[in-house]
Amino acid sequence: MASDPQMLANQRIVEDLASRLRRRQVVGSRQAALETLLVLRQVVSRARFSNVDQLVDVIRSVGRRLVDAQPKGRAHSFLYEYADFNHGSFITGTSEHSVGNTVRKVLHHIREEYHTATEGSTPAPAPTFSIAKFVSQGQPRKQQTVQKNDAAKVPLKENDPDDPDSFARTLKPVLMEAIQDVFDELETVYDNISKNAKDHIHSDEIILTLGKSKTVESFLKAAAHHRNYTVIVAETAPSFVFSSFHDHGLTRHFTRYGGREMAKSLSSAGISTFLVPDSSIYALMSRVNKVILGAHAILANGGMFATSGALLAATAARAYSTPVVVCAGQFKLTPLWNLYHEYGALDFGDPSSVLGFEEGDLVDKVDVVNPYYDYVQPELLDAFITNYGDHPPSSIYRLLKETYDDEDNEL
Amino acid sequence: MSDFEIFETYQRLLKNEELSTPLAAILALTEMIEQSRAGTMFELVKELKDGAEELNLKSPNPISLNAGCELFIEFITLFPHPSANFSELKTELIRQGQQYVVEALTYRKKIAELAFDFIKDDSVILTHSYSRVVMQTLLMAHRRKRISVFVTEARPRGLGIKTAEKLRAVGIPCSVVLDSAVAYAIDKVDFVLVGSEAVVESGGLINAVGSNQIAIIAKAANKPFYALAESYKFHRLFPLSQYDLPSHNPKLLSFTQPRPPGMSLKTQSNNASEVNPHQINQEQIAQNNPDVDYTRPDLISLVFSDVGSLTPEGVSQYLVGMFAG
Repeated sequence: MASDPQMLANQRIVEDLASRLRRRQVVGSRQAALETLLVLRQVVSRARFSNVDQLVDVIRSVGRRLVDAQPKGRAHSFLYEYADFNHGSFITGTSEHSVGNTVRKVLHHIREEYHTATEGSTPAPAPTFSIAKFVSQGQPRKQQTVQKNDAAKVPLKENDPDDPDSFARTLKPVLMEAIQDVFDELETVYDNISKNAKDHIHSDEIILTLGKSKTVESFLKAAAHHRNYTVIVAETAPSFVFSSFHDHGLTRHFTRYGGREMAKSLSSAGISTFLVPDSSIYALMSRVNKVILGAHAILANGGMFATSGALLAATAARAYSTPVVVCAGQFKLTPLWNLYHEYGALDFGDPSSVLGFEEGDLVDKVDVVNPYYDYVQPELLDAFITNYGDHPPSSIYRLLKETYDDEDNEL
Repeated sequence: MSDFEIFETYQRLLKNEELSTPLAAILALTEMIEQSRAGTMFELVKELKDGAEELNLKSPNPISLNAGCELFIEFITLFPHPSANFSELKTELIRQGQQYVVEALTYRKKIAELAFDFIKDDSVILTHSYSRVVMQTLLMAHRRKRISVFVTEARPRGLGIKTAEKLRAVGIPCSVVLDSAVAYAIDKVDFVLVGSEAVVESGGLINAVGSNQIAIIAKAANKPFYALAESYKFHRLFPLSQYDLPSHNPKLLSFTQPRPPGMSLKTQSNNASEVNPHQINQEQIAQNNPDVDYTRPDLISLVFSDVGSLTPEGVSQYLVGMFAG
C-alpha cells in the first residue's frame, strides 16, 4: 500500500502540516482548523477505500498523526511534578485543540453522508428497539420519521469484489461537498458569531476584554455599528500575536502584548478604547458592565482554556458579579473534560518574553515560566456566544454530542 | 388477577448480589408478564402498574425501585409492535426485559471507566456508605493507580464499614470517618465520589442519608463532588426539598412528647430492670430518621452514567426524552 503514489502524496502533506504544527508555524485555532481541513480534503480525494470503515481509519490515522505532532508543553522544576503523571490518554498537551476537533467534525459528516447515501439502497434494518435505546434516545416515534425511501438513489455497494473503487467513486463527491460545508463554516465563523453582537452590548456600556482575539475583535466592531460604547483592553503581558498571515504562515511577525494590538485595532475602528495594565483589572472591575473574552478551547464541562489573564479577569468579575461572556466558534468545542491540568493546558511560551537575556545575572538564578493559557472553570462563565447560538456553560456537553460522534472523542 | 406473588419474586431476585433494586424490579415485572393471563395491552399495563404499586408499598425504601418500574412500564406502553398476535408481543417484551438486565449489568464497568479518567495518581477520595458502582470504580482505579479512600461510617445502617472492609481486603489504604467528622477530613480529600439511589429530573441526587451534608461541605471546601448512577436510576421526580421525597413521612424527625415526670416513675416502678425511662437507644434514633436525602444539583460537579459523563442538568434531557412526548 505504501508504494502507492497517492498514498505517498498523502503522507507528504500530512507530514508537512505536522512539522509546521510542531514548529508553531501554524498558530491560532482557526488557522490550524483551516489547514487541517485542507489536508483532510486532499486525503479524502486521494484515498482508496471500498467501505466506510476503511475511510474512517485513514482519516483517524491522519488525525492522530497531526494531534501527536503538536508541541507538548514542558515546564520547569516545580511544575514538573504535576506534569509528570500526564501520560494518560486524556492528557493532551497539544497546543491546537482545533486540529483534533476538525478531524472529529469531518468524521461526523462522513458518517452522516454515508448513512443518508446507504439508506435507500440497503433494505432498512428492522427497527430494533430496546430499553437501552429508549433510555439513550427517548421515545420511539421521533426516530421513526427519519426513514424515508429515496427511489432515485444510486445503489451504493460496499466491498464490491469486481470493482473495489466503485464505493469510493459514488461517495466521494458528497464527501467533498460535506468538507466544503465545514470549510465555508470556518470562513464565515466570525460574521456568524458577530451577527447578534448588538443584542449583547448596550449603549454606553463599559466592556472589558483581554488580549487579541479575532473573534472578539470582530464581535466588538460589529456591535460598534449600532452602539456607542467603551472598551477597556488589558494589555495581556507578555502574550504575543502574529500580526501578518498573508504569506502562508511562513513570514510571521511577532508582536508582543496582544492587548496593545487589540486596542490599536479597536480605536482605529472608532470605538472609544482604553488600554490598561493587567494589574489594574481588579481595580477597574467595579466600573465594568461586561467582560467579553475569547477562548482557545472550550471543554465539555463548560470550562475553557483562554489567554493567560482570563482567569484573573473572570475571578475579578465574579467578585463584582459582572457577567462574563465568551465569544468562540464551534470548532473550539473540544470533547475533553478538564481534569487535573489546571495550571495552563501544559503549554508554555518562550520565557525570554518574561525575562530576557539582557538581565543575565538573574537568568541563572530563577526559573521562568510563561504559560500560554489559563483554565477558567465553568462556574466563572455566564454564556458562550457561538456561531451555533448562545449557550450557558452547562449545555456545552450537549452541543458536543451533536457536533461529534462519541467514538471519535479519542482519535 | 393471577395469584402471582410479585414481592416474593422481587425479594428472591434481590438475593443476587449483583442485581440492584431497579433491575430486580424489572425482572420481577417480566416474570409477572410471563404469568399474566391478560389478553390486551391495557389489561397487561394495568396489571404491571398494580404490581409496581405493590412493590412500592411493601419495600422499605422504594425510590430506586420505582425508577426501574416506571422505566419498564413506560417502555412497554411505547413499544412499537407490528405483530397482531398479543402472546407474541408478550414474549418479545419478556425478552426485551431480560436482555436489558443482562446489558445493564455491564453498566457499572462502563461507568467505572468513565470515572477512572478523573482519578489522578495519588488521589485521596472520600466516599459515603456502600455502593457497588463506587466499589467497582475504586477497585479498577486501584489496579492502575495509587489511591487512598476515606469512607464515612454512614449511620444508621453503618454500611461504610462494609465498604472499608472490602477495600482493605484488596489492599486499598482506607480509613473510616465518622459522619460527623467529614468537615474535619475534607481538606485532606481530593474529591468526593458517591453512588446513588436515584438521580432526579433537576439533576439532584437521592442517596443514603448524609450525602447532602457531604456535598455541602465539599462545596464549601471547593472540592469536586461526583455522583455515579446507572441510567436506570434516572427518576422522574422533581423534589424541591427533603420533605418532597416519597420516603418522607410525618413520623420522621418527630418530637417526642415530654412525659410529666411523676407519671413515668409510677408506671415504671414495678419494672424489675432499672432502666432509665428517658434513655434513648440507637434503634429509636434510626426509626426517627430518614434513610435517604436529597442533594441539590448545584452541589454536584458531574454525574457519571453509562450514557456518558453528564452535568447535572444533562440528566433531565434523558428523562424528558423518555417520559415527555
